[in-house]
Amino acid sequence: MIRIDRVGVTTVQDAGRPGFAHLGVPRSGATDRASFALANRLAGNSASAAVLETSGGLAITALRDITVVLTGADAESLVGDRPLARCKTTPLVNGEVIRINRLRSGNWAYLAISGGISGIDRDDTNQANSTALLGSLSHDMLSGFIPVPLQSGSLLQIAEPISVPSSLDVVVDPVLARRLHLSEGPHRELFPTESLQHFVRANWIVSPMSNRVGIRLTHSPQSASHDPPPASSLTGVSLGELASIPLVRGAVQVTPSGEIVVMLADHPTTGGYPVIGVIGADDVDALAQQQPDTAVAFAWAT
Amino acid sequence: MRVRAYGRDATIVDGLVEGSAGLLRTRVHEACIAAGVRCDDVVPAATSLVVMHGARDAQSVRRLLADFSVATSPADNNIAAPIEIPVRYDGGDLADVAAACSLSVDEVIALHVTADYRVSFCGFAPGFAYLIGLPPALHLARRASPRTKVPAGSVAIAAEYSSVYPRESPGGWHLLGTTTATLWDVSQDPPALLQPGQRVRFVRVT
Repeated sequence: MIRIDRVGVTTVQDAGRPGFAHLGVPRSGATDRASFALANRLAGNSASAAVLETSGGLAITALRDITVVLTGADAESLVGDRPLARCKTTPLVNGEVIRINRLRSGNWAYLAISGGISGIDRDDTNQANSTALLGSLSHDMLSGFIPVPLQSGSLLQIAEPISVPSSLDVVVDPVLARRLHLSEGPHRELFPTESLQHFVRANWIVSPMSNRVGIRLTHSPQSASHDPPPASSLTGVSLGELASIPLVRGAVQVTPSGEIVVMLADHPTTGGYPVIGVIGADDVDALAQQQPDTAVAFAWAT
Repeated sequence: MRVRAYGRDATIVDGLVEGSAGLLRTRVHEACIAAGVRCDDVVPAATSLVVMHGARDAQSVRRLLADFSVATSPADNNIAAPIEIPVRYDGGDLADVAAACSLSVDEVIALHVTADYRVSFCGFAPGFAYLIGLPPALHLARRASPRTKVPAGSVAIAAEYSSVYPRESPGGWHLLGTTTATLWDVSQDPPALLQPGQRVRFVRVT
């Protein structure tokens, strides 16, 4: 068992809830899948084990001897008063404290506990009031699953380890690629050529409005001075006449105002805005880790 | 009907007749399982269907979908009995809908309750089903200003659809009534009362 002392911006995440999208249930799960997978691999867990996904401000206490692995964003992190190294197995004895404070780069750090999180108790009643829901412990901000958010005092049950944890000799940073490769989306043919050219020529800025549902991208003021102004940049699609289509992670939606929303873990299952392209899985991980105000650009995959 | 890549990890079938995607979903899902190819999710929308299969099985799924060259007709599944949903017609928008459609309230209720519905697809929230079959006389744009809170069990219409709100949420649809039916229950398998392709009838209760 571990106790959440300070929750910060932290949720429990696993591989999500595939198999229910046709009933309107988002897949959810870890935002940066590569860093999540690495954390579980090093912790000796199954690929879908539940971990803590945090943007910082997290403090936990081990209530028994456990082994943890931190991956993902570079964070100011401490075990007791010593630095907590990323991509290394770190044993904790009962009572030791881990703090993951501010992130230096990236948005999402992953703390895997050897064995994996198997349940969430709200307080010390020892009554698990959030066991897996539709096969997952992931907190989905769109549909409100798991209904009980983490809070200080929450207790996390830890399963017995299934294999031996291991460390890496080098730290694997999240890939922070700024050129995102995408393949053709279902509505690409609806965009006029000039719009498609502008789309790949422009710099797009990661908006602070981004979250686990989607990354919102706005026009760079710099690129707008060289290119057609935002109002005419990606228009040409008759928005009122599009039927809703199923959405996938990485789908690039163009909104009526000419902004872009890239679908992330908690994306809605269907949507009515045109989808110009689909970003590949690795580049979605990279985009998810880009902090607000970073400039990114698109390139069509060949 | 067209089969195209939707990124490396998914495939979209579009150009479907509305109402057929839910039925096609069942057949595609069964075919993927029979062929031993991965399909994490098979998701219908209004006139399209998406299979999420991962990069490795992309070619297998696309080959398999090409065999579904004849699109399923909604009539194929009329054998199954409709799910009946009891409705008390006490919705806050009945009078406004009647006025907007140049009908009496009784005529609105009669049109809504006698129609045969089918789940075209689910979306917006877990268990929220877009039902087609609403008589054209009741087709209305959404409310100009959405409500911040629509109670669970509200029976509503918007555009060519009717639906039932599975739980309290914001919403812009016109409220005709309420039901005591449970639309979403995670202790059930499946958790949604209404699934794509199913037939639905409303039954008036007082």
